[in-house]
Amino acid sequence: MIHISDIHKRYQMGPTMVNALGGVSLQIEAGEFVAITGPSGSGKSTLMNIIGCLDSPDSGSYLLAGEEVAELAPDDLAEIRNLRVGFVFQTFNLLPRATALENVELPLIYRGIGARRRRATAQAMLERVGLDDRMTHLPTELSGGQSQRVAIARALVGGPALILADEPTGALDTRTGEEIMALFEELNHDGVTLILVTHDNALAAHADRLVRLLDGLIVDNRAGVIV
Amino acid sequence: MTGRARLVMLWENSAMSFRSILSNKVRAFLTALGVVIGVASVIGLTALGHGAGIAVESRLSNLGANLLIVYSGEPRGTSLVRQRTTNIAPMLTADDLEFIDSLPSDLVVKTARESSQNGQLKFENRNTVATVIGTDPNYPDIRNFHPMYGSFFSELDMESRRNVVAIGVQTYRELFPDGRDPLGATIRINGLPFHVIAIMEEKGSPTQDASVLIPFTTYRRSLSGSDNYAIINIQAASTDVMYELQSTIENEMLRLRRVPSMEMANFYIANQMDLIGTVTGVADTFTLLLAGIAAISLLVGGIGIMNIMLVSVTERTREIGVRMALGAKGRHVMTQFLTEAVILSAGGGLIGVLLGYLFSWGAQRFGGLASVVTPDSVLIAFSFAVVIGLFFGGYPAYRASRLDPIEALRYE
Repeated sequence: MIHISDIHKRYQMGPTMVNALGGVSLQIEAGEFVAITGPSGSGKSTLMNIIGCLDSPDSGSYLLAGEEVAELAPDDLAEIRNLRVGFVFQTFNLLPRATALENVELPLIYRGIGARRRRATAQAMLERVGLDDRMTHLPTELSGGQSQRVAIARALVGGPALILADEPTGALDTRTGEEIMALFEELNHDGVTLILVTHDNALAAHADRLVRLLDGLIVDNRAGVIV
Repeated sequence: MTGRARLVMLWENSAMSFRSILSNKVRAFLTALGVVIGVASVIGLTALGHGAGIAVESRLSNLGANLLIVYSGEPRGTSLVRQRTTNIAPMLTADDLEFIDSLPSDLVVKTARESSQNGQLKFENRNTVATVIGTDPNYPDIRNFHPMYGSFFSELDMESRRNVVAIGVQTYRELFPDGRDPLGATIRINGLPFHVIAIMEEKGSPTQDASVLIPFTTYRRSLSGSDNYAIINIQAASTDVMYELQSTIENEMLRLRRVPSMEMANFYIANQMDLIGTVTGVADTFTLLLAGIAAISLLVGGIGIMNIMLVSVTERTREIGVRMALGAKGRHVMTQFLTEAVILSAGGGLIGVLLGYLFSWGAQRFGGLASVVTPDSVLIAFSFAVVIGLFFGGYPAYRASRLDPIEALRYE
């Protein structure tokens, strides 16, 4: 599903060049649940952005679902994101003026799908995350947990190759966070490829595999870690 | 992208823009206000200018249709509406008239001689002064000055040199203040008895309303004693031939007088076309000036839209980031903000069109001004508003479309 080989990425930060990724290779198979961890400044966010096709590496190769995406232009990356990647953010990032249903429809709009089919697909997705009764609510009328479920439905609605979750429980209380993690596990059980980016080792323990970064390099890549 | 997908995007963009505009109604209204005022003033002021032009034009054509007037005397410009035409030394001759009358009917329809002098009028014990005009039976048709009561003198009256008179409405009021029927009454003009046969319609111009009209033959015999005339009124066949006709007559009359050029002639020709051309030219310039000033306010309205769109893009940086993460391409974001700007400007334009009509109606109803909204001005002002939305919304939309999704998602 994901074939990353020898990716480099450098940033200009003020007067100094920062080596965000210094030759990272990583493979993730379909249906896997992988956690990417590391302290801040480890290159974790950069790797996530590249995996999510929000950014391109300076060098190296990235095959996503068999397609080389390392050197695509911004608009082509947008299309890949739309088709292959579902994002779940720490702060949900729902559009404030759109209802739950409309938020979930968004990725399908950019795919040019007509209103009726969009609505049906989005409804089914909201039902799957357990929000049948909140479809016409605005984000301000939803709790944190409900908002994150809407965001997950939005990430799932386009049938992406992978779901990329960036600290998805960071803005939630412990219990709600556990509910969300349970939902992720359930989705993974149903076959969804899941990448969880977190600095929280307890959260990372939910994953089948742990990838730890330090100073732009993968220092640990193993299955079944218990901390 | 397929055609259907484009359609979906267009529809969704409009829906999103409407939602975004409706979510901040006061701001949207204030943003569009500049365009509203701009469009309304373009339409309203153009309507006033156009109305004024039409009013003057209709007053001018009220003088008569396709009118050419040959005057005795030194040329004095195109004084078709000159106030004083009395007591001009009559220097137009039967030869002049004969030539004009001999012209084919696709040039000249009819002619009327005219001479005038001031006369003393008397009825019973009342006296007044009026311009006594000696002319031909064609005069009412040519000068668009008809009797409102009774009938004008005829060819028979001309041949018999009858002492009959058609009196202007002001003269009628002075001689017959009791409002009695004047037909058949005998008034005296410079001591000579004349039968009243008609009252002329009111023209609102003292030169015409305080005049009395008698057959030219009678005038020649009883008042002037001259065979010549001061004026020849000519109705041309159409507006198209008026300049051709004017130069034909000028050339022949110069030839008859053995005078090389109009500068030295003892006559001149006033052409209705010149006057209408001059007046409508002035009205058009005036209208253009007003529209130009109004267009500047439309431009200022556009800058207001750009200002608010830039604020809006900044405020919604995170939203743009989310949309991009979910697959929005640069042009999707660009069209979204462009659509919003155009909806603002077009909506403002639409309200402006209504206000412009209202302004024009009010100016007419309450200000007593002639005001005519032209479809052109509506079309131009509205299109200009839309173009302004596109132009001034373009830069903010472009900035939005070039945002880096990572930066935008991080924006607080």
